[in-house]
Amino acid sequence: MELDIRNLSKTYPNGVRALHNVTLNIPQGMFGLLGPNGAGKSTLMRTIATLQEPDNGSIMLGDIDVLTQKEDVRKILGYLPQEFGVYPRVTAETLLDHLAVLKGITDRKERKDVVHALLHKTNLYDHRKKNLGGFSGGMKQRFGIAQALLANPQLIIVDEPTAGLDPAERNRFLNLLSDIGENTIVILSTHIVDDVKELCTNMAVINEGEVLLTGTPTEALESIKGKIWRREVSKEELDQFDATHNIISKRRSAGKPVIHVLSDHQPDDSFTAVTPDLEDVYFTELFGKKEAVLN
Amino acid sequence: MWEIFKFELIYRLKRPATFIYFAILFLMAFCAITTDVIRVGGGAGQVKENAPTTIAFFLIILSVIPGLILASSIMGQPIIRDFKNNTASMMFTSPITKTQYLGGRFLGSFVMLVFIFSGIILGMALGYLMPWIDQEKLLPYNFWHMLKPFLIFVLPNAFIMGAIFFASGTLSRNIMVVYVQGILLFIIYAVTTELMEGWENQALGAILDPFGINTNNHITRYWTVAEQNSQTIGFTGIIVWNRLLWIGVSILSLFLTFWRFDFNLAGNSSKKQRNKTSASKGTQSIKTSVEIPSVHQHSGLATSLSQIMGLSLFYFKWMAKQYTFLAIVIGGIIFTAVGFFFGLGGMYDVDVYPTTYRILNLLGDFNIFFFIIAVLYSGELIWKERDVRINLIYDAMPYPNYVALVGKFLSLVYMFVTLLVILALVGIAAQTIMGYPHYELGVYFRSLFIDDLSNWVLFAFLGFFIHTLVNHKFIGHSLMIVFFVLTLVISQLGFEHQMFLFASGSLGDYSDMNGFGHYFQPFSWFNSYWFGMALVLFTIVLLLTVRGAENAFKMRLKLGKLRINPSLIALGVSSLFLLVSSGSYIYYNTNVINEYQNSDAQLSDQAEYEKTLKKYEKEPLLKIVDTYVDVDIFPETRDFEARGKYVLKNKTEAAIQKVYVQLNPSNEMEDEVSFDVSATISESWDKFDFYIYELENAVAPGDSITMHFTSNFQTKGFVESGSNTEILHNGTFFNSTYFPTFGYQSGNEVGSDDDRKDNDLPEKERMRPRNDPDAIKYNLVGRTSDRTRFEIIISTTPAQIAIAPGYLQKEWEENGRRYFHYKMDVPILNFYSIVSAEYEVLRDKWSNGKQDVILEIYYHKGHEFNLDRMVSSMKKSLDYFTKNFSPYQYRQLRIMEFPRYRSFAQSFSNTVPFSEEIGFMLQIDEDDVDIPFYVTAHEIAHQWWAHQVTEARVQGNAMSSETMSQYAALMVMKQEFPPEIIQKFLKLELDRYLRGRANESKKEQPLDHVESQGYIHYRKGSLIMFALQDYISEDSVNVALRNIIDKWAYREDRYITSDIYLEEFRKVTPDSLQYIISDLFETITLFENRTKEATYRQQGNEYLVEIDISAIKYRADSLGNEIKIPINDWIDIGVYGEDDDGQEKLIYLKKYKINQEEMQFEISVPEKPVKAGIDPINKLIDRNPDDNRKTLTLKKES
Repeated sequence: MELDIRNLSKTYPNGVRALHNVTLNIPQGMFGLLGPNGAGKSTLMRTIATLQEPDNGSIMLGDIDVLTQKEDVRKILGYLPQEFGVYPRVTAETLLDHLAVLKGITDRKERKDVVHALLHKTNLYDHRKKNLGGFSGGMKQRFGIAQALLANPQLIIVDEPTAGLDPAERNRFLNLLSDIGENTIVILSTHIVDDVKELCTNMAVINEGEVLLTGTPTEALESIKGKIWRREVSKEELDQFDATHNIISKRRSAGKPVIHVLSDHQPDDSFTAVTPDLEDVYFTELFGKKEAVLN
Repeated sequence: MWEIFKFELIYRLKRPATFIYFAILFLMAFCAITTDVIRVGGGAGQVKENAPTTIAFFLIILSVIPGLILASSIMGQPIIRDFKNNTASMMFTSPITKTQYLGGRFLGSFVMLVFIFSGIILGMALGYLMPWIDQEKLLPYNFWHMLKPFLIFVLPNAFIMGAIFFASGTLSRNIMVVYVQGILLFIIYAVTTELMEGWENQALGAILDPFGINTNNHITRYWTVAEQNSQTIGFTGIIVWNRLLWIGVSILSLFLTFWRFDFNLAGNSSKKQRNKTSASKGTQSIKTSVEIPSVHQHSGLATSLSQIMGLSLFYFKWMAKQYTFLAIVIGGIIFTAVGFFFGLGGMYDVDVYPTTYRILNLLGDFNIFFFIIAVLYSGELIWKERDVRINLIYDAMPYPNYVALVGKFLSLVYMFVTLLVILALVGIAAQTIMGYPHYELGVYFRSLFIDDLSNWVLFAFLGFFIHTLVNHKFIGHSLMIVFFVLTLVISQLGFEHQMFLFASGSLGDYSDMNGFGHYFQPFSWFNSYWFGMALVLFTIVLLLTVRGAENAFKMRLKLGKLRINPSLIALGVSSLFLLVSSGSYIYYNTNVINEYQNSDAQLSDQAEYEKTLKKYEKEPLLKIVDTYVDVDIFPETRDFEARGKYVLKNKTEAAIQKVYVQLNPSNEMEDEVSFDVSATISESWDKFDFYIYELENAVAPGDSITMHFTSNFQTKGFVESGSNTEILHNGTFFNSTYFPTFGYQSGNEVGSDDDRKDNDLPEKERMRPRNDPDAIKYNLVGRTSDRTRFEIIISTTPAQIAIAPGYLQKEWEENGRRYFHYKMDVPILNFYSIVSAEYEVLRDKWSNGKQDVILEIYYHKGHEFNLDRMVSSMKKSLDYFTKNFSPYQYRQLRIMEFPRYRSFAQSFSNTVPFSEEIGFMLQIDEDDVDIPFYVTAHEIAHQWWAHQVTEARVQGNAMSSETMSQYAALMVMKQEFPPEIIQKFLKLELDRYLRGRANESKKEQPLDHVESQGYIHYRKGSLIMFALQDYISEDSVNVALRNIIDKWAYREDRYITSDIYLEEFRKVTPDSLQYIISDLFETITLFENRTKEATYRQQGNEYLVEIDISAIKYRADSLGNEIKIPINDWIDIGVYGEDDDGQEKLIYLKKYKINQEEMQFEISVPEKPVKAGIDPINKLIDRNPDDNRKTLTLKKES
């Protein structure tokens, strides 16, 4: 089963163009949707999760038309929204059990087993009698994935799950995701490149509602191989380089500004070649090409 | 602090809400003044629309009703806002002190609140200037009349509400707590209102009312029309205490806020807990390798049902655990329970037995809380997931839309059921505690779980609909309230039909005798109509409910279209069918087979009757001299069929050619009329059931003709409202007005001058003048007859006994029906009752050696409580009346109970129907006025004062029948009960008289010109007659009354008027006291008697009491304008001691001539005195009866 998104567009009543002609083919396995804040990731995710209507376009999940057969989608869907709250005075076990009922797991025994398994899996078992109000951000997020995994979903959508987690929590969370069976479509949206790097077999970069790149991470890396150059600069030089070079990222390394530049050739000797990582791909898609056009 | 203050002001001024709130109050005030659509009381009759008291009441109400809600949202918010927007931490780290922060926020918000509240006075000030207001109803414009109550009531109210809401909002940081606080304030107000209903704790209630509503009402309770039009309420007396108390409470709560508010921690109370959670992380048992078992996922109806169950229980538990919810519920239950202490008081402060229906009535106090819960929680439930932002998780779950909505809805229904069960238990507990363990579970069930439950379920549907549709919580709540205001407004605009009034089905009053009677059928139809409507709304809810992230209405419509499926169509169509079919059936019943008119149309018909037919008012009439009726009552179907015969005699000097027949106009009646002589209808008005028959041969003076009639009453389906409560399944009681009568009926005329004006009719006097030569020829029953011979045969269902005036000739059963034949041996007034019910009978006898009278009480089984008191009253009354007035004209005296839909007793010849409500179910304690005894005595007295001495229907008529019956009953009571009881009775009569005159709509008359004004002919009548017999002696009064009977009993040539009484009273009054006749009967005379100083000292074995009194005598005109007149009156001076039990007892009472405003008296008494005063027993009419007596202090020898 594949998820086939075609020509999806959405403009909000306030004029914000969230999606523009998005066409994506998402196979089984982990799919990373990379994009900065406000790129339209969440709109896309919500649309796939039957919670939002596009202005036009279509989404097919196998034979299911996502836009009209919402209930069929929901039966096989696990969804973790970008931001969510919980009832503060309800325990994790109670709420998970309650959500399991809504998932259609009506057999009491089965429900109990799956709830316990998921609580173990998400490492919340010891906290199952605790009110959700006392959960930390990471625990809450793990609870979120637990509910998304109820009833063996075939399509899992996790929207920015790692935002705001500390490194340890984030690791724990990603491990959890990676455990999910391979016969499932998992769409992970994030603005953190490492999430995709570590997990995904396929990826897309989207910005301002448009898909900039799709493919496997390897293919993506291949496309910019040998085109990324690095140089340490001083503060004063920064503006100058900005004007003359196609800078895709500026960062600091041990306190000193470092720039990465996209160029088919070594700009000059002061630049050294780097082996591009996914981040470079991402920044190239976001900034490099635009600048190139401008140049 | 200035900075914070300024910030708050600027912030508020930028918010549209501030101006919307201002506009709401401004418009409400403006519209209430300038239109009839919103009414806030006041301005009735002679009280002007801008009378100071009307203005004050109005300002206070508006400061509370919308004011409370606005104040809670303005004053509860400021600190919560900082926490919500996370600006709190910024605030707290900036270099301001706690006092500056809180002070600035409070003052800023408070100034805004005052600004918003000023909308009330500005709207009003502008409103009164509008040119389209009827200038006749206005006093000259006076802004001070508005400003003064604004300063005394509204501004302090703003501060009180503001401070308390600020405190609760700041300390709890939860807006729900603020709302609950508002509800609690309202409960306190409601409890004080209950205190006001009794008469002992009124001052307490007036002081404790947080808003000053009851304080204001208490102060103005005796203000006459003239005073209401001229006086303003000053900041004195009880008001000062009330305002100080609550301002004190507010300041205290502000102090508490400043003290308790934790400025540093910024309220992260969960922080510690959180740290603990993360700290314990290290010790977790890691078992992440566990396999997730595969599960079976179900869908379909069975799954949906179990999901609905799960959801509804989940939400139910959530609600039940909420502190705010619990606070509302517990507050409501406490409030309701408090009601039990005050609410059982009936007439004259006597408690009613806590029967189930009475308890249910009191449990109705909880309704406001049901309403709050329905409004608040339908919104909370709709918004629940979105409020905690878990909605997207829910929305992506594979359940159909209806599952969540039905689940939420059911949880509210469970909550209603739970609360109703609790209420039933409270009721049963109350009945147990009060020692009345007759739990009628069926009545509880029907009333709570059928009537109330369906009502609140309908409101929940409405709440779901509004909240779903507007998709904004606060607007949703507001719209719910607007909806109710709108309901009131549309009925003002003439849409009065119950089909316009949401959830209008009601089981009506319950009566032990008649159960739920015939109310169940219309209730069921109206309920199915509204449930049809509710389900239509719910179908729309299902279509438009927000699922997912789309909030735009256009998108929701688009999604809604996608959701249409066969079962939704089925639901929509079937509920529409239910709505339309039950609506049509209701319409068919109320408007097709019965008649429906709104009140304007009714008034206009009444006016047309007067305009068309008044010209016949004085046409000479044949009079009924003989009546025979044969009535078959069918209680099962609430019908009767009557066949009757009148002998009509020409008692005038001239021949009479025309007969003016007036048939009973009710829609259920079908009549036919025929004469034994040749007659044709010459003119007819079907609309008014008025027909003029022209006789072929005129009836010569002294001659008679016979008229036959059939009058059939047929109950058809059900009516819109005001269904007939006279012809019933059990407890039928109707009177002769159902049968044909003659001539124009002036009783049908439009009464109120305002309504007359609207219908282009001139103002009219309420009654004809006392010396009207035409009117005095006719008795109070009408122009149709003087007295008539009377015979009747009634048949009814075998289980019931049927009774009418007369003596039972024969009783038999035939064709499965039970027959009673009654015949009267002397002519009676043409006014007779027909009663039929399942009765128990108590029989007794009375004799005074000359006369034997059979006594009977027909009562409902289980209502035995007060039968002894009634029998005793029957006997004592017959004793007193036969001894002091004249013999009893009949050989039998019967009391028959009838259902409580109407609460009076009425005296027909030898027959007294007596409501279930006013005597049978009262719980008389030792210190209570024995109401069953009193009412019985009063009604028996009517056998003399109405049936022997019959008055003309002119001004002052009720002084003859009602006042004399009050006197007669009082004299019987005086012999039977201790003086304290009589004094209590008189004190309550005084209170009711003084309140009555404050509510007079036209003009207060002196007693001898009373115009059907109950507060005068009953209440003032008791006081006046008690004073009269006190001044001139009981014997003298009775001599006068005997003289009247001698001259006036059974006269038919003319009927008695009040001047005859005055003439006879004057004859038995000594010269020195002649002035009192005029003071008591012919004028409105009031006293302001007061004891200023009272001391005593011992002198040997005696005690010397010295008192300083002041006494002022006033004369009032019909509007209550008082002028002081010189005093030269005999007034009691009394001294009280104490008996062995420490109870007060009168040890000295003597009349002194009071001829100066200030006087001193020295009285020596043999016992140790405790209190002393002028007119200590309150025999005179005095607006401050409580300052007449004073506790004595020991005088120091100087």
